Amino acid sequence: MRRLKQFGMMLALIFLAACGTTRAEIAPTFEQAAEEAKQSTVNFYMWGGDDGINRYIDEYVAPRLKETYDVELNRVPMDTAEFVRQLSLDKRANREEGTIDLMWINGDNFRNAAEADLLHGDLLDKIPNTKLLNEDAQATDAGTPTNGLEVAWGNVQFVMHYDADKVKDPPTTFDELHRWTEENPGRFTYPEVTDFTGNAFVRHLLYAEYGAAAGDGEIPDDFWEKLATWSPSLWKQGTTYPKSLAQLDQLYAAGDVWMTMGFNERRAEAERENGVFPSGTRALVLEHSIASTHFLAVPFNATNPNGALVVINELLSPEAQLAKQDATYWGDGTSLDLTKLDAVDREAFLKLDDGVTYPDPERLAERSIPDYGPAVIDAIREEWDRVAQ
Amino acid sequence: MSRSSLWLSLFVLALPFTGVAFLIYETVGFDWSELNDAAWRASLAVTLYVTLVSTVLSLVIGTWLARSVYRRQSTWLASLLRWPMFVPHVAAAYLFYVLFSGGFPFYGLVEANERHHLVVILTYVWKEVPFVFLMVIGTYAQLNQGYVDMAKTLQLTPFEQFKVAEWPFLVKPLLDSFWVLVAFISFAYEVPALLGVTFPELLGVLAYERLTTGLFLNAYESYAVALIWTLFIFIGVIGSYSMTAKRRRRIERGVRR
Repeated sequence: MRRLKQFGMMLALIFLAACGTTRAEIAPTFEQAAEEAKQSTVNFYMWGGDDGINRYIDEYVAPRLKETYDVELNRVPMDTAEFVRQLSLDKRANREEGTIDLMWINGDNFRNAAEADLLHGDLLDKIPNTKLLNEDAQATDAGTPTNGLEVAWGNVQFVMHYDADKVKDPPTTFDELHRWTEENPGRFTYPEVTDFTGNAFVRHLLYAEYGAAAGDGEIPDDFWEKLATWSPSLWKQGTTYPKSLAQLDQLYAAGDVWMTMGFNERRAEAERENGVFPSGTRALVLEHSIASTHFLAVPFNATNPNGALVVINELLSPEAQLAKQDATYWGDGTSLDLTKLDAVDREAFLKLDDGVTYPDPERLAERSIPDYGPAVIDAIREEWDRVAQ
Repeated sequence: MSRSSLWLSLFVLALPFTGVAFLIYETVGFDWSELNDAAWRASLAVTLYVTLVSTVLSLVIGTWLARSVYRRQSTWLASLLRWPMFVPHVAAAYLFYVLFSGGFPFYGLVEANERHHLVVILTYVWKEVPFVFLMVIGTYAQLNQGYVDMAKTLQLTPFEQFKVAEWPFLVKPLLDSFWVLVAFISFAYEVPALLGVTFPELLGVLAYERLTTGLFLNAYESYAVALIWTLFIFIGVIGSYSMTAKRRRRIERGVRR
């Protein structure tokens, strides 16, 4: 009986410990937030699958934060969907003291988080460096309005890469790409549409056919019929598709397919230099390219929201953004508006823009299109199975 | 039974029940007709096919190997057969992926990522045969040689010898193995994710996909499928064990002599 009581007590304790009492408050001004954040630790949850990105955080950002603000940055690698799910469980259990202070997020995960009310709002007013942001990039996240729930961290565009040693006469439009696949059967494919990149590729095709008009999520049957005509000349005759962009990159690296694709116009540079991608890798910009932004957000139950604001401000500083865009670590495009920077900083950014695999920045900028909203992304996910069958 | 082991077993027992309770809780108010889409239907069919073929092949080959090892008393074969057990499923999947999707000699003969899922089945058979072997070899080690000798004396055909002198004792380990394998293979992720195709996907892969992409709304489909599948296997286990209970008890008493 005594044991049973002990057991019950333990359960009750665990339960109490799980239900945090009060939510941490954000300081009214940034100066106060920086003061509060001194000597604290910020738990930064982010996808950890890229070595360059991890090194950028650990070797560049963390030491600077320690020095400037006396804030410890603890990078926690985890799949984004995973920690958003964890947060939504926190929400349901009324857990007001969470483990995440800052997170890297965009797309579906943001939409989930915003809909479930998992994020701190009004971030923009509280962080001085948000004044420098590119307003277009900040406004929407894959078509969902951001409403100050997240802050743009990087901005990239969709670019394809091909092996110039094998592809002598690269296509210039999506129609030509279709013809090219028919002339070179088995040498092209795209990731499944459950993948972020694969879905974006299909959106590009949709845009090539219907332009912005298809934004309501009603995709005509004709489009699917036309897409199905790609299948016979794709890799494995279109009976299967790479599960992820990583798998497509592997196929490309192995020479099985001759083109790959992805958000971030600088993504192939380091891979090519390391000998993963063929040395003939070059950028291919077709008639339009979707711009995509990724963001930083603070969960509703962050225990150190002030520290998180300090980290966001630091990540948005021109120096940190410049180091991020440099191919040394990551090569990720800046979310800042270059016209808002002073001349020296602007020059430094413009100087970065030469790499063998980089597309012509002006051409890329002029073909940039805004993304369709979530309705189209969902519709593609639901209906694309017809093509895969 | 000591008190601590009682608590431990209660705890271990409570876990799956909590899991099922959670699944039921998650699926309250779920519109079950959502599962009636082409992707889930195709998934169910291909899952049953892959699971049953892999399981039956593993059982047959594993039993046959155990029988040969027992009869020839070949210990080196017995230890050799254990090796695939120590290879993790992901590693095995990757091994077969490399073998069947690149310039290796098998390429062209059978290919990874095709709709018949042959390489998926092959991977499972390679991984699970040693498991079945271990489950069955124990039974053979305890087998009363008297029954086999008697069957021989009665001049039964080899098949009938097997049927009367060995099969009754194998029912229990084979039934155990069958359900372990069915439960595992039918809802696994890594092997079919790497070696399968985009359509149709095995249940585990499709459920994981619906759970992790899009809005949380789709997650309920995965919970519902997990719930149905758990109950389905649960009913299968109860049904098959109760049907064979009488026979198995009789055999077990007989074996102890």
